[in-house]
Amino acid sequence: MDKEHKNKKDKANIFGLLKAYRGQVILLIILTLVGNGVNLVIPQIISHAIDSFTEGNYVLKTAIIQFLVAATIIFVFSYLQTIIQTFASERVAFDLRKKLSDKISMQSFSFIQKSNPSKLLTNLTSDMDSVKMFVAQAVTSIVSSIVMIIGTCILLFLINWRLALPVFAMIPIIGVAFYLVLKKVRVLFKRGREVIDWLNKVINESILGSAIIRVINSQQLEYKKFLSANTEAKEIGIGIVTLFATLIPVITFVANLATLTILALGGHFVISGTLSLGDFAAFNSYITLLIFPIIVIGFMSNIIAQASASYERIYKVLKAPDTKDLGLVEKSLQGAIELKNISVLYDGKPALNDVSFSIKSGSQTAIIGPTAAGKSQVLYLLTGLIKPDSGGVSFDGTLIDDYKKEMFHKQIGFVFQDSVMFNLSLRENIAFSDTVSDEDLQKALDTAELTEFVNGLPNKLDTLVSERGTSLSGGQKQRIMLARALALNPKILLLDDFTARVDRQAEQKILCNVMANYPNLTLISVTQKIAPVKSFEQIILLMEGEVIATGRHKDLLETCPEYVQIYNSQLSTSHYETA
Amino acid sequence: MDYNLNTVQDTTQKKKSTLGSLKTLIGSMVEEKRILLSAFIAMLITAILNLIGPVIIGYTIDNYIQTKQYQGVLMFSGILLIMFIIALAAGYIQTKLMGTVGQRMLFTLRNTVFNKIQELPVEFFNQNKAGDLISRINNDTDKINQFFSQSLMQFVRSILIMIGAAIFLLSINLPLGAAALSPALILWVFTKFVSPWVKKRNGKNLKSLGDLSSEIQESLNNFKVIVAFNRRDYFRKRFGEANRNNYNTAINAGVANNLFMPVYSFFANMGQMIVLTYGIYLIATHNFTIGLLISFIAYVSSFYNPLRQMASLWANFQIALAAWDRILKILNMENNMELMEVATENKSESLLSFNNVSFSYPNGTEVLHQINFNLERGKTYAFVGPTGGGKTTTASLIARLFDPSKGEVLLDGCDIRSYKPEDRTTKVGFILQDPFLFSGTIRENILYGNQTYQDFENGKLKQIFKDTGLETLLERFDNGLDTMVDISGDGISLGQKQLIAFMRALLRKPDLLILDEATANIDTVTEKLLDEILQKLPTTTTKVIIAHRLNTIANADEIFFVNTGNIIRAGSLNEAVKMLMHNKAAS
Repeated sequence: MDKEHKNKKDKANIFGLLKAYRGQVILLIILTLVGNGVNLVIPQIISHAIDSFTEGNYVLKTAIIQFLVAATIIFVFSYLQTIIQTFASERVAFDLRKKLSDKISMQSFSFIQKSNPSKLLTNLTSDMDSVKMFVAQAVTSIVSSIVMIIGTCILLFLINWRLALPVFAMIPIIGVAFYLVLKKVRVLFKRGREVIDWLNKVINESILGSAIIRVINSQQLEYKKFLSANTEAKEIGIGIVTLFATLIPVITFVANLATLTILALGGHFVISGTLSLGDFAAFNSYITLLIFPIIVIGFMSNIIAQASASYERIYKVLKAPDTKDLGLVEKSLQGAIELKNISVLYDGKPALNDVSFSIKSGSQTAIIGPTAAGKSQVLYLLTGLIKPDSGGVSFDGTLIDDYKKEMFHKQIGFVFQDSVMFNLSLRENIAFSDTVSDEDLQKALDTAELTEFVNGLPNKLDTLVSERGTSLSGGQKQRIMLARALALNPKILLLDDFTARVDRQAEQKILCNVMANYPNLTLISVTQKIAPVKSFEQIILLMEGEVIATGRHKDLLETCPEYVQIYNSQLSTSHYETA
Repeated sequence: MDYNLNTVQDTTQKKKSTLGSLKTLIGSMVEEKRILLSAFIAMLITAILNLIGPVIIGYTIDNYIQTKQYQGVLMFSGILLIMFIIALAAGYIQTKLMGTVGQRMLFTLRNTVFNKIQELPVEFFNQNKAGDLISRINNDTDKINQFFSQSLMQFVRSILIMIGAAIFLLSINLPLGAAALSPALILWVFTKFVSPWVKKRNGKNLKSLGDLSSEIQESLNNFKVIVAFNRRDYFRKRFGEANRNNYNTAINAGVANNLFMPVYSFFANMGQMIVLTYGIYLIATHNFTIGLLISFIAYVSSFYNPLRQMASLWANFQIALAAWDRILKILNMENNMELMEVATENKSESLLSFNNVSFSYPNGTEVLHQINFNLERGKTYAFVGPTGGGKTTTASLIARLFDPSKGEVLLDGCDIRSYKPEDRTTKVGFILQDPFLFSGTIRENILYGNQTYQDFENGKLKQIFKDTGLETLLERFDNGLDTMVDISGDGISLGQKQLIAFMRALLRKPDLLILDEATANIDTVTEKLLDEILQKLPTTTTKVIIAHRLNTIANADEIFFVNTGNIIRAGSLNEAVKMLMHNKAAS
C-alpha cells in the first residue's frame, strides 16, 4: 500500500520516509517538547527560592530537593530523547539498507552492471549516513522550532497585531532565501554524491589493478586520476559551503531586522501612546525566542538538503522495476537445449546475430571460434544472465523464462572463464548453494582433482580464501570453480574456456571424471582447442556472432574451411599434447 | 610483513611515525594559518556584535523611548542596522573560510591516504579488502572533515566564552565563583574517564562500516556467480549480517556519544543550584547581596551554556579521533620493499639471474626453494609445469612484485632491489595472468603508463601499430582505439582483455618480457599471430613464457620445468613433455 502511494507521487520525499516510523518520531517530539518545557522550571525554582528568602521562609532542603528533582527529570528526559533519536535514526538506516539490498539482490545481472557497483556502494554507505543524520538531528529540531515559531507568533499577534505584522513579514523573506539557496544546493549535493561514486571507482580500480600498476610503475598516473576526482569533490564542497555561508548570515540578518523593526516601530507606538511600555518589553523578549528557532532551521536546512539528494538517489534504485520470476515450471531438466534466431546487441552492435542450434540431452557440444566471437554470450544466455534482444532459448521445449528460477539454476552448473572467489572458506566457496550435501561435495572435489590439493592444506576445506582468491594459482581457482558447479549435481554443465588455465593432462583426466561421475550430463564446452573435443557429438563454430558451421569433427574437416584453418593452427604442437 | 589493517599492532617504533604523519598533516595545514586566523577574527566580531545588540536596545529603551525622543530611537536603530550589516559580512566570512579550510583539509587528507596506498606493495592489497579501504578513504576522512568544518570554530568559541565567564565569576566573588565552577571539575574528570570508551565504540562502528562496505563490494563484483547459482539469498544474508552488525555498533556508539549532553546539562543545573544555595548562605552571613546573586546566576549560565554545547562537539571530536586512528593505520604502513644501495656491479653476461632464491608466503609456507637460473639476452625461455607449482611466483619475483625471502635476483648484474622503480619497470615487462583494464578507452589502456607514446595522435600511433605488427589485433575492436572499456562490463571478453594487455606490454619495449599464461584465452589462430609479433621484437629482447599449453612454447630456446617450488632445466621440448606427464601426481 505504501509503495502504491509512492508510485503515485513518484517523487522522492524524505519526509515521506518517516511515515513508517510515525510512533517513534512523535515520541521523540513529545520528549523534546517536555524536556524543553521542564527546562523553563529551573528559573522558576530560582526566583521562588529568592522570593521565599526575602520573605523569610526559605528552607534550604526544599530548594535543593526541587532543584535535584527538576535536574534529574531533565537528565532522564534528554537522555531518553537522545537514545530514542539514536535508535530511530539507526533503525531507519537499517531498514532502508535492507530494503535497498533486497531490491538489489532481486535485480538482473545487467542491472548491476548498468547501475555501476561503485554507485550502489555509495548508496548503501554515504547516502545512508545523510539520511541517518536527517532523522537523528533534523526532525526533532525542526518540529520543535516550528512549534516555538508558531507559539511566539500567536503570542506576538495577541499582544499587538499592528507591531506583529511587520515582524511576520520577515518569514516570507526567509522562505524565499531558503528556496533560492536550497534549489541551487540540491544540484550541488547531487553532483557531490556523484563525485563520491567517481572516487569509489578510482580507488576500486587502483586496488583491483594494483599488480599491473606496480608492474608498470604508474602510481603517479593513478594519483592523477584520483586528484582530478578529489579536486572536483573539493570544488563542489566549497560551492556548498559558500551557499550556506550566504544563507545562514542572511537569515540571522533578517531576524535581526525584525528586532530593529520592533525598536523603531514599537518605539514609535510607545511614544505615540498606542503601545504600553510593558507590552513593548514583552515583545522584545519574545522576539529572541522567535529568532533562535529560525536560525536552527537554517542550520538544519543543510542536513535536509543533503539527505534529500541522497534519498533521491536511493529512491531511484528502490523504484527500479523488479525482475519478477514469472516462471512456474518446476520440472527437472533432461538437457535438450534449443536456441532459435537469437540476437544480442551490445551498444547497438550485434554480439550474436541470428544464432540457432539445438543440443540433444546427454550430449557433448563444443563451441569454438576466435576471440570475441560471442561464445561466452551463448553461455550467458543459457543461464539467463543476459536476455536475447530477439529469439528464444528453450530447455526441453519450454522457454527459459517459464522455468521457476530457483529450480532452474540448481540444475545448471556454470564454470566461468574468469575466477570469481568469495572471501569464505574453501568449503563455502565450493558448496556455494545451500543444498549441497557432503557426498556431493566430495564427489565434486574428486572429479575436479582437488582432493589432494585440499588435503595438503593445513586447514583442509576450512581454509579461508582471501578476497579475489589472491593466494591461489590460476589453475587451482579454475578447478574450484568447476567443483562449485559440479557440487550442484547439475543436469547441464557449461564450461567457459576451462582448458585455458588447466593443463592438457589434468583437463583430460577431469573430463573423464566428469563423464564417469556424472552420466547423462549435457556438456557444453566453450574452448580454443579442438583436440579434446574431437569426439564430441557436436562442434559449433562461431565467428563474429554468427554460426558458421555445426557438426562432428570429421564432417567439419570436410565442409568448413574456417574450421580447417583453426585445426591446422593447432596441428604443429598437438602431437606433444596427445602423446 | 603484516599488512592487514585490522590486525596490525601499533609498536613503539610506529608511534614515532604516528607523530611524523601528524606533523605532515599539520604541515600541510600551515598555509591555512592565516585563513584560520581571519576566520577566528570574523567569529570574534560576530560574537561581540551579537552580545552588544541587546545592550544597545536596552540603552535605547531606557534613554529615548521612555523619554519619548524618537530622534534618538531612529539614530540608534541606524547604529543597530550598521552593526547587523557588519555581522552579516563577518558571519559570511567566518562560515565561508572555515568551510573552505575544512574542504581543503579533506582534500589533502584523501590525497595523502591515496598516495600512501600507492606506495605500498601488492601484498598490502592481498591482505586488505577493497571495500574497507574505500571506506577509510571516503567515510573516515569525511568524519574528520565534519569535525573540522562544523565543530572546530564552535569549539574554540565555546572555550573562549567559558574562560571569559569563569574569570568573571571568580573575580566577582572568589568562593562563590569557585563553588559555581566545581561541577565543571567533575565534568572534566568524567570526560577524561569516559572519552576513551566513547572513542573505542566509535572506532568499532567505523570498522563495521568498513566491513559493510567490503561485503557490498565483494557481492556486487561477483554478482554473476550469485545470479547463476541463484544465491541471491546469499547476498541478502551476508549483507543482512553486516547491516545488523553495523546497526548494533552504531547504537552502541550513539548511546555513548549522547551521554555527554544530558550529563553536562545535569551538572550545569547543579552549578546553578550550588550558586543559589551557597549564595543565599553567603547573603545570610552578610557576605553577599541579593542583587549580586541575581546577576551572578545569569553569569553562571553564560559559563554553562557553552559547556553544554561542548558536549555535542566533544562527541564529534571522539568520532573524528576514532576515524583518524583508522586512517593512521594506513599512513603508518611502510613499504617493506625498500630501495637498496647500489651495490658494486658484477658485470655479468646474463640479463637476469636467480641466486639461491627462496620465497615464503607471509604465513611462513615456503613456495620456492633455493632457485638458481640465468636468463641470457635475446633468448626465449619457457617455464612449464603443473598449476600451483610456483611459475607465477617466479615471474612475480622477476618483476619485483615481491622480494625473495632468501637469496637474490640480479637484473643486469645488479640486485633488482637496487633499481629505482621507474628504471626497473622500463626493463621488465610483465603480462599478468589476469589482465586488468581500467575504465576508459582502449587507447588509454594500451598507452597506460607509456611515457613515449602518451601524447601521440591516433594517426601517428596507427603507424607504430603497423610497424610492430599490432595493427591486426587492434582491428578486432569495433571502434579501434576509441572503443570504450568498462571494468564492470562484460562487453569485452577475457581474450580481448588479454590482447589489450599484450599490446600494452609490447609497446613499452622492455628488455625482458614475461608472458604469464598471457594468451590462455585467445584462440589458436590469433595466438600464432601473437607469436609472429613476438618474433618481430628486437633480437636483444629476452622473453619468458609461462604456459601449460605446449604449443606456445615450441619456439623456446630453453625450457624450465617448475614444480613444487623447484625449477629444473628441461632441455628439449620432448623432455619437458615427459616431465609434465610423470609429475602429474604432484599437482
